[in-house]
Amino acid sequence: MMKKNLFKTGMLTAGLSAAICVTTASAQDIQAQRLYAQSLAATCANCHGTNGVSAPGATMPVINQLTSSAMYEQLQAYKTGARTGTIMHQLAKGYTDEQLKIIADVLGKKN
Amino acid sequence: MMNRRIFLGQSAAVAGLAMGVSTQTRANTLKTAQVVVVGAGYGGATAAKYLRLLSNNTAQVTLIEPNAQFISCPMSNLVVGGSRQIAEITSPYAGLEKNHGVKMVKDSVASIDATKKTVLLASGKTVKYDKLVLSPGIGLMMESIEGLDAANKAGVTLQAWKAGPETVALHKQIADMKDGGVYALSIPMAPYRCPPGPYERVCQVANYLKKHKPKSKVLVLDANQDVTSKGKLFKEAWAKMYPGIIEYRPQHNVTAVDAKTRTLKFDVQDDIKADVLNLLPLMRAGDLVVKAGLADANGRWSTVNYLNFESTKAKDVHIIGDSIQVAPLMPKSGHMANQHAKVTAAAIVAELAGIAINPQPVLTNTCYSFVNETEVVHVASVHQYVAAEKTFKTVAGSGGLSTAPTALEGVYAWGWAKNIWSDSLV
Repeated sequence: MMKKNLFKTGMLTAGLSAAICVTTASAQDIQAQRLYAQSLAATCANCHGTNGVSAPGATMPVINQLTSSAMYEQLQAYKTGARTGTIMHQLAKGYTDEQLKIIADVLGKKN
Repeated sequence: MMNRRIFLGQSAAVAGLAMGVSTQTRANTLKTAQVVVVGAGYGGATAAKYLRLLSNNTAQVTLIEPNAQFISCPMSNLVVGGSRQIAEITSPYAGLEKNHGVKMVKDSVASIDATKKTVLLASGKTVKYDKLVLSPGIGLMMESIEGLDAANKAGVTLQAWKAGPETVALHKQIADMKDGGVYALSIPMAPYRCPPGPYERVCQVANYLKKHKPKSKVLVLDANQDVTSKGKLFKEAWAKMYPGIIEYRPQHNVTAVDAKTRTLKFDVQDDIKADVLNLLPLMRAGDLVVKAGLADANGRWSTVNYLNFESTKAKDVHIIGDSIQVAPLMPKSGHMANQHAKVTAAAIVAELAGIAINPQPVLTNTCYSFVNETEVVHVASVHQYVAAEKTFKTVAGSGGLSTAPTALEGVYAWGWAKNIWSDSLV
């Protein structure tokens, strides 16, 4: 499943009729970026659950109902100090804006 | 197909990244490589699960663990204090096999052959690996306190620093103590597992004694200069919640124990007698790591490359969790072990897939401590990899402490526990 999907994406990115080696490298770049994005978002999972989904009965604020843009806004609000909290205003300040964007894109609802 | 979404469903997310990934084509051995993980605590269990998740369930992962169930060290001080039962901090391992296809082997590792790339199990079986992840936790240096081994064997002293039967036994000793007795806790020089753990234990034991044996005392004998974590918050809680119960003595290094007379000896100070002796010796990497010759930092901890947690002494052997020589301000905690595991899993998947490992990993730490049965204080930090220094550093202006204990953070602490248990095991 993974290979097929990556290959397809690679083709799209690299454009049509590209040499095989170019397509492969490009697919690998995308695979690498996905991996980095997933592992970055996984830094949140200790408190908010794997892939942002809380375990049954876990008394932690639910985040997986937010859209990616709403999640990014909240993370930015914590980072700038516009929003206070018990711990999130301290953690958000440790990430770059780009990292917060990646996290929100991975964990937020897509539609 | 299991959890396919975590790896594949995010093409929109990565389209806009500018992470400057540059890779070259290398052999993809992800499907054929044998990845062996040793120890199913916060580090090892998480590593096994995320090796499967991040490889879209293609990596072959074996997890070797002698215990039948996971018993959490975080929250175990509540069991020592008697407000919670051990069953509430115990979780099954079944989810790793059922939900993620991790091959569980109930055994322990006797030795490692890093040249042949095999591990020898206690049962006599040999397991071959292409990548090995070691997460054996801590080893207790019993020899650092003269007479401790004998006192433990005589049933006089306990550590209860690895949650399990000792946790329950320590509560029983405290519950059996006469009203007016003394519970003594000795704390070794840092680094040790869970910096705020001893001070949380002080709160939990004092909470129990205040209710059930109010003439009793908690005597804290700390080898360190002062409280090593959340110092102001703990001292305020002790003074406010447990006046007259807790006596804190810094720079008290226990050097010997006499089991017969329940007497402690120190570097400098006069001997002390107590009724319950909870003595924590110096700590080092797990025995397996030490025996394998991988504890290269002072013979106690393992030096690793922080980009993939590979031992600097043995290729394809990755060491995570409490056993490593830490980066500045990096605590030895379950939360941190879980974070090490994810960086390591991603790096191993990348290496096996023939792509570059993440040049910019991030770690967080969140640690909640209960000052009574419901109120909690936290410390939190974010650690970014700094390529120029090849280490993790905390980000200036980030992280921090609670301002005071609250019940809200008590609710979040249980939320954290349930989610991290699930994130590591389910």
